[in-house]
Amino acid sequence: MKPTKKDRLGMALFMTPALVLFVLFFLIPVCYVLIVSLFQWNGMSAASFVGVKNYFTIWKDPVFRRSVLNNVIWALVAACVQVPLSVLMALILNRKPRGWKFFRTVYFFPQVISGIALAMLWSAMYNSEYGLINGFLHLIGKGELAINWLGTLNTALPALLIYWVFYIGYYMVIVMSDLSGVDRDFYEAAEIDGASKIQQAWFISLPMVKSSILTCMTLAAVMGLRQFEQVYLLTNGGPANRTSTMVLYLYKQIQNTRYGPANAASVMLICVGVIVILGIRALFQIERKRRK
Amino acid sequence: MKKILALILALALAVTAFACAAPAAAPAATEAPVEAAATEAPAEPVVEEGFNPASEVTLNFPCIWVGTDSKAAVFGEMVTAFNTEYAGRAKVVIEEQTDYQAYRDKIRTMLSAGQAPDLFSVDGTFKLADLAGSGKLMDFTPYLTDSDWSALYNDGALADATVDGKIIAIPFESAVFGIYYNTELLANAGYTEFPKTYDELFTMADALKAQGVIAFPLMTGENAWSSMLWYSQILLAIGGPDVYKNGLDDPAFVQAAEVLKKMFDYTSSDAVGAGAAVVNGHFLNFEAAVYTNGPWFLPRFAKEGINDLGTKVKFALPPEYVGGKGTYGGLAGTVQAYLCAGVQTDADKAAAVVEFYKFINQPEWLYKLAESSGAMFAVKLESNTNDIQVKQDLLAAANSAPYIVKHFNDSMPTAIGNALPAALDELVLGTVDAQGFVDLLKAAGQ
Repeated sequence: MKPTKKDRLGMALFMTPALVLFVLFFLIPVCYVLIVSLFQWNGMSAASFVGVKNYFTIWKDPVFRRSVLNNVIWALVAACVQVPLSVLMALILNRKPRGWKFFRTVYFFPQVISGIALAMLWSAMYNSEYGLINGFLHLIGKGELAINWLGTLNTALPALLIYWVFYIGYYMVIVMSDLSGVDRDFYEAAEIDGASKIQQAWFISLPMVKSSILTCMTLAAVMGLRQFEQVYLLTNGGPANRTSTMVLYLYKQIQNTRYGPANAASVMLICVGVIVILGIRALFQIERKRRK
Repeated sequence: MKKILALILALALAVTAFACAAPAAAPAATEAPVEAAATEAPAEPVVEEGFNPASEVTLNFPCIWVGTDSKAAVFGEMVTAFNTEYAGRAKVVIEEQTDYQAYRDKIRTMLSAGQAPDLFSVDGTFKLADLAGSGKLMDFTPYLTDSDWSALYNDGALADATVDGKIIAIPFESAVFGIYYNTELLANAGYTEFPKTYDELFTMADALKAQGVIAFPLMTGENAWSSMLWYSQILLAIGGPDVYKNGLDDPAFVQAAEVLKKMFDYTSSDAVGAGAAVVNGHFLNFEAAVYTNGPWFLPRFAKEGINDLGTKVKFALPPEYVGGKGTYGGLAGTVQAYLCAGVQTDADKAAAVVEFYKFINQPEWLYKLAESSGAMFAVKLESNTNDIQVKQDLLAAANSAPYIVKHFNDSMPTAIGNALPAALDELVLGTVDAQGFVDLLKAAGQ
């Protein structure tokens, strides 16, 4: 049934407040970022128009290029490691083994703790002088392996990723809620047909929660691309900018009162974000077409 | 059509998900150039003799010296005393700001929006030339020229606050940076006196290392503060007081980087990426022997140090570099805070600003503030026997110093100072040599 003129008016009226807020607080700031990215401006004196020079400037900066690469790594690790881990845990806990409620709470618990507190905790864990990890290595007689985990070129980024990748509770709960809605009849029928638990998970559970997994992967990739707090608090982009991310890069540009390059970096971040999200969606589209 | 709509919606969603980092105010594309802004600023009102405004003047002061800040208690007393003395004529209203970075961002944003606060302070991260470029700052020149007020200040202090012939800020808190050492740890390594040259310093560092003691607690995290101070001291020792005149092309920058890198052989294993808390912790916990910081930190030796550290710390002059252009006794320093005011169109308000700044710069108040916080000030103060010994020694050294030169971060553009921690990482981790370190700094400044 086609909506009537009255229906359309009603829909428009309901949508208007949200649309106004969306334009005021999202679209206008984005346009503003785009405009400022074309200026040289220190935040206090008058701005001067420089066209796309800021984009070339930041692209020539090896720290920016490394930040883009790190962001892509974060997004990939989030989508390809963190989410699959979450799905695996959701599938296991969905079978309601003994103590599943306890484990669900344990895995979700870090989500309710401040990111700053977690970063401080891990900073202490990784510390080379009094950290738990090096302490343990000394305890088991492997003191020669003790290093400054966040201050060594080869270990800083993996150390950040490892700490973050195991916080799977958020995505796990999303997938679990979707799994709980899957009709039990499917599993009973599969069991009668002799399907193993793994086959049931692979051929029933996963296809049924595909939309949740897509949502989780999109969210995880977005979170990966927006990484700031953990990096800022644990390494501030160091050592030698090896763990810098795009948001941290633009934050540092703002600290340098270089608002033009900072906003150019923002625009680039938006572009990378759009590409990654469209890429994830495209992957699922290809998979859907292949199945058809 | 549906696909196009879906694509547009997906794009809009993605764009909003990543929208961030917009500064709070827009630079208008049609904004007038700096010169025009300066000429458009209202003429400075002339303050009448005596201060008797038509009605009570209220001055808003977003202030960082509140909460747990070491100056908070006495500064609060100063403001209360001013409000009492000037009741019915002027009133200062403090707007509490407890986070330094948030405070800087606020000031910068307000200036860019053309709404300078009545009263505010800026630290070394602001370049006065940039502030002057905003055209929003009150010019104190008419009030300070040939006045009793200007006679209060140390030589050169007002000149530092002058941009294009206008005094746009009142120098308030200053600092000189001495070297402090743990006498007990040095004695254990066989030293009763602090070395006078860098060669002797490294010999002593070897002895300390043999004892399992961290000779120099250093850091490359945050703003690499303690490392930056050492770099400043070494630069002065090698290049002399004029080292910053030729910028980073002076070979002293490379030589000083080599010395600094060597110091990292005698630091803690967590120095790369460490912040100020780590450095301070090593010294306060009797793990490190030699330390440098500003005078504000001195009271903490006694308050927070273990094993009665406060009685075991002594002041020393920075070592001399054999063959360097520096003079023994020369020190690195800084103006830690300037007092500024927004351009005032109302003569009464301008007069109130001047009255308040004169009031809080009275030596009797500053003595009290110095005692409570350990801070030093741009106003000339006699030596105070109530101060702790290391502070008295520092003041004596400052008074007899052949020169006091602003530290590296103050002497360089903001971008170079901010690039120092990452460049230091590269140097310490061996991915660049001393020349590469200086090249990284140069690149940051371009």
